[in-house]
Amino acid sequence: MEYILLVPVFFPILAGIVLLLKKEYQKRSSMLLYVGTALVITGVFAVYGIFGITEGVTLFHLTKTLPVYFELDTLGRYFSLLFTIVWILAGFFSFEYMKHEEREKRYFGYYLIVFGVLLGLDFSGNLITMYLFYELMTLTSLPLVLHTQTREAVMAGLRYLFFSFAGAYMALFGVYFICRYGTTLNFTAGGVIPAAVLQENRTLFLVAVMFMIIGFGVKAGMFPLHAWLPAAHPVAPGPASAVLSGIIVKAGVLAVIRVVYQMIGTDFIRGTWVQTAWMSLTLITVFMGSMLAFREPVLKKRLAYSTVSQLSYILFGLSVLDAEAMTGALLHVTAHAFIKVALFLCAAAIIYQTGCKRVEDLKGIGKGMPVTLWCYTIVSLGLIGIPPTSGFASKWSLAVGALASGVPVFSWLGPVVLLVSALLTAGYLLPITMQGFFPGEGYDASRFEGKEPSYLMLAPLLIFAALTVLIGLMPNGLTDRLFEFAAQALQIV
Amino acid sequence: MNAFYLFLAVLIPCVGGVLNPLIPWKKRSHMLIYLETLVVVNSILVWVLLLNRPEEIFTLVHFTGNLAIAFQLDGLGTVFAGLISFLWPLATLYSFEYMTKEKHEKTFFMFYTVTYGVTLGISLADNFLTMYCFYELLTLVTLPLVMHTLTREAILASRKYLYYSIGGAAFAFIGMIFLLTYGESPDFILGGVMSTATLAEGKNTFLLIYVFSFFGFGVKAAICPLNSWLPQAGVAPTPVTALLHAVAVVKSGAFAIMRLTFYCFGVDFLRGTWAQYLLMGVVMFTIVYGCSMAVKETHLKRRLAYSTISNLSYILFGVVLMTPLGLVGALSHMIFHAFMKICSFFCAGAIMHQTERHYIHQLDGFARKMPKVFAIFTVSALALMGVPGLCGFISKWNLVSAAIESQNPMAYFGIGALLLSALLTAIYMLTIVIRAYFPEKDFNYDTIADVKDPNWMMLLPLTVFAVMIVVFGLCSMPVTELLTAVAAGSF
Repeated sequence: MEYILLVPVFFPILAGIVLLLKKEYQKRSSMLLYVGTALVITGVFAVYGIFGITEGVTLFHLTKTLPVYFELDTLGRYFSLLFTIVWILAGFFSFEYMKHEEREKRYFGYYLIVFGVLLGLDFSGNLITMYLFYELMTLTSLPLVLHTQTREAVMAGLRYLFFSFAGAYMALFGVYFICRYGTTLNFTAGGVIPAAVLQENRTLFLVAVMFMIIGFGVKAGMFPLHAWLPAAHPVAPGPASAVLSGIIVKAGVLAVIRVVYQMIGTDFIRGTWVQTAWMSLTLITVFMGSMLAFREPVLKKRLAYSTVSQLSYILFGLSVLDAEAMTGALLHVTAHAFIKVALFLCAAAIIYQTGCKRVEDLKGIGKGMPVTLWCYTIVSLGLIGIPPTSGFASKWSLAVGALASGVPVFSWLGPVVLLVSALLTAGYLLPITMQGFFPGEGYDASRFEGKEPSYLMLAPLLIFAALTVLIGLMPNGLTDRLFEFAAQALQIV
Repeated sequence: MNAFYLFLAVLIPCVGGVLNPLIPWKKRSHMLIYLETLVVVNSILVWVLLLNRPEEIFTLVHFTGNLAIAFQLDGLGTVFAGLISFLWPLATLYSFEYMTKEKHEKTFFMFYTVTYGVTLGISLADNFLTMYCFYELLTLVTLPLVMHTLTREAILASRKYLYYSIGGAAFAFIGMIFLLTYGESPDFILGGVMSTATLAEGKNTFLLIYVFSFFGFGVKAAICPLNSWLPQAGVAPTPVTALLHAVAVVKSGAFAIMRLTFYCFGVDFLRGTWAQYLLMGVVMFTIVYGCSMAVKETHLKRRLAYSTISNLSYILFGVVLMTPLGLVGALSHMIFHAFMKICSFFCAGAIMHQTERHYIHQLDGFARKMPKVFAIFTVSALALMGVPGLCGFISKWNLVSAAIESQNPMAYFGIGALLLSALLTAIYMLTIVIRAYFPEKDFNYDTIADVKDPNWMMLLPLTVFAVMIVVFGLCSMPVTELLTAVAAGSF
């Protein structure tokens, strides 16, 4: 039975490869039928695997000590469920959006492949399997980034690739040492390296953990290696930007949790310079990302900077090593995923319908595209953290956890920076709503008349907006499960 | 089997090669069939020998005292001989197609085939003198191959190659004198041939001699600062660059260093001395230097040549760890790098052969026109970067495991050098791949309408190499086990 875990990983990869190798379709609709079916089948098997299978499965051995092994724990279930929902919805959005792009077949082919790779990453039961899929994710998502093949896109793609590999190789340094000294490679709450070994090679392991945090942090856009993100995310086609910014960056978060909480163990880094450095980097990123977003005139780039900032909220929540803060961080993973995907899809819908890319062109857009702008506004409020949205719930836990953590200076500095950044978030998101609905007296917004997108595009937007509110209203079911996991990971049961 | 067959394996390609220009071939295809048969038969002979290993030593000539030309087959020799005898028939097949555009085929194939025998001679040598003789011979028989095109550039390159190699061999010669004078036995013995008393007496002298010989052999293995001949020698036809300057010649250098380190001086003596630290520093520098130069280079083959420089120092990094595990790492990278680099070089050769384009910026959009070649090139590029699932990952894994296990703090920095080099590898290989697959938006495919995939003689070796890269990447365990046995002396 446990072999069903392999289906959602390898089926979309195969389906994607088949699509890439196939001849161009005669009819567009038959290609969409193929892609849609593949997405749904994968989704069904993924959900079945997430809820139905507890055993692990070893596929084969890379070397004697390196098995490729899949197993789902709470974290894996949580991330894979999130990824599945978002990936499928954004996929349906692309059906409409990709009409105005070239090379659709290649886009959908890689879209399917990356889906499988991401599920493989979530399903990984040990460090080396995760690393394998992490590298594959970088390679297979590259064609999504440079899809348009303009000079700007190709350059951004290269930057994405090389930053990601720089990060992956930094992380690999730590992976080598964990594999050598760990008692097992499987993810274990509290870490796998005996405390005596850690103490004996203290400096070495601290350096290794720092490398891993910065290395995997690259994918999550953490300062100092964040520069690829604002370049790479906006150049991709709309729905691809959405999943890059909403989902793929979360793979970096997942990897950081895996190594810090489940490989090295939090006790080892608590109170060391690594924790201090990590917290400082995330707070710098939070502030810097918001500032840069604030002064960015191009909508998609503004959203990309916002991702930089928001992802470091999550990383900050992880870095204080507190169960409450970690709960907030994990909740923010979902909150931010839904919100950021929705925001990018709004931007995509606007570009698709009107061609407007810059913020100042969007004056009066609420007259023509009210539903889109309403969705935009609701999720924006979520990102700022206004109740009753998911963003409020997650940021609340983050701040409370940070204050309770007792880390000197950072326990109050963190929430302050988060608040300032929330203010900036309001500053860069809400003007679009205000000018969109209230362009001022006598402003001619007739160019937006009747530009509301079709239901295929609106449906995912509405679902994401609804989910944002829904989680905000009833976060407890989710937070209780997450808190349980966090407490277990921090070993304070 | 009788040990005489060892000598026969060396002799067949030499004699067969020399006969080639003497036979008045009526048709080109006859010559090709003759050559391929010759090489395949010899490779089969070598593999039969590897599987039924002769225990005794075959002495060809006994000069005087402990000076003799003799052959035997041990674990290390098995690995190297097995590697080159696998690659040679495929490379020969490839060169048949490639050489249709070059002149003086007969001479070319003569030297190409003779080199096979000479390289086998190095791997099957029983003692330092034999290895040294074949090592010098290797320089001489590959020289005409480098200067094959007889352009001014080629002649300059071959001159440089000659001076560097002969100069290096002279340093190695010093080492040979010492080993023959102070060694207890002229044969190679795992663990060293000199008694601890002798070594202790002249410790620093011996270390100095070791360093000299290391650099001497290191010329062929292209360590910094003795590597500038290798990119220049890229003017040779691609079968030469691919097989000789990525495998046979350069790995003879690495092989000789392994013999020198593990089988002559002995690692127990060398480990922890200043010599080890010095050489480790040099090797680590070369790893980074080669990659950086490759990133800078815009000529396709020269870029791959710089990449070779860096990757050879991966092998030497394993050697200078001076542990059995280090040797396992070194040997696995020797094998895997051979496949990866010959594969990427052959792709480069296929591009040059089909399109006459030599520079990377000319490769825009090629992947659509040469899908097979570029798919294979991508596999080799990813393998060189060390993507898990391909063989490059395994050999780097073995090297790094050895580095960690050695408990040598400097080796930890070596891991850093390897990772930095992996990043640079990603940069210099993937820029080519991306350029070929994703040209700029308004790229006009009509400008490369003449570009197409080569015929089966080129594609077959390429496919075999690509498949081997994947197979080794996924099931490396038998190889690693074999190499562990070799390094422990139990094979």
